[in-house]
Amino acid sequence: MVTIGLLHTTIRGDEKLILEAAKQRNVKIRLIDVRKEIFNRNSYRTDYNIVLNRCVSTIKGNHATHFFESLDLTVINNSKVSAVCEDKFVTSLALQKAGVPTPEFAMVFNANQAHQAINQLGGFPVVIKPPLGSWGRLLAKINDFDSLEAILEHKDVLGSPHQKSFYIQKYIKKPGRDIRAFVIEGKTICTIYRHSPHWITNTARGGVATNCPISKEISNLSKKASAAVGGGILSMDIFETDSGLQINEINHTTEFKNSEKPTGVSISGAIVDYCLKVAKKI
Amino acid sequence: MLMLKADCPICDGVVTLPKDAEESEIISCPECKTRLVVTSLKKKNAILEEAPKIEEDWGE
Repeated sequence: MVTIGLLHTTIRGDEKLILEAAKQRNVKIRLIDVRKEIFNRNSYRTDYNIVLNRCVSTIKGNHATHFFESLDLTVINNSKVSAVCEDKFVTSLALQKAGVPTPEFAMVFNANQAHQAINQLGGFPVVIKPPLGSWGRLLAKINDFDSLEAILEHKDVLGSPHQKSFYIQKYIKKPGRDIRAFVIEGKTICTIYRHSPHWITNTARGGVATNCPISKEISNLSKKASAAVGGGILSMDIFETDSGLQINEINHTTEFKNSEKPTGVSISGAIVDYCLKVAKKI
Repeated sequence: MLMLKADCPICDGVVTLPKDAEESEIISCPECKTRLVVTSLKKKNAILEEAPKIEEDWGE
């Protein structure tokens, strides 16, 4: 019988769905609150076949992933995938290098370079994002030079070191929605539209999820994007543009609790099935 | 199995835990709507605390 070690910090609705899916499949889950562990290789004991990282804290999840990999346990997603997906700049680089359509972007560390980079990207508006971060937090749509100066000065004075790396992305006008594709091992299992009148469409910020049919274009794009970042269990945020679909960001510890109902797909079940499949190959 | 109940640490309201509650689970107080976390879960009692504030590295 396979036992999955489930790494977590707080337990959200998503993790509860995974627990339920595992129960239905007779799969044992060992809950591991990483905040309560002592990751010492000399004393740590494990009794599970595979590890699933579901930490809401990216940094704690990464350390735990590296630890379990050092014990020769397979972690889903592995540390290489996490390292690419946790950082928007690294994700964009991987996508661009692999020829996957993605909005134009640049990384700079001060205001002068930011202004030049924006000219290279075709001018205002642009979006500035923290390279590390989620749920649409601290995204800024910059419409002119005055706003750019103000935002960058605030980040410089008030921000943590992460906030002083300025990831700039060409602003893409969306048709009141974007697409999120849930992708496992390169295969798109379901997709949702995230509707919002606001330019930030994250469901964490009030975006409403409805089912989106899986088109061949979504499926092919997601497959390529998955390969570009190393595969595993991913969700892709996709923009519909005049020149076709573009991958905006990729999440490596995806939240899905609001997406099972509109799609009718058990994403939690697919996650458990994938863990079982990988565990059986070990 | 009896439904566990615990006091909300913010408003003292009574919070009924789900049957399949887990330690570290996030739940909401039905009265004051505060996000709470189950910090201790024993057979007959549970302890709730205010859920941690969102940190810079939290997300997907």
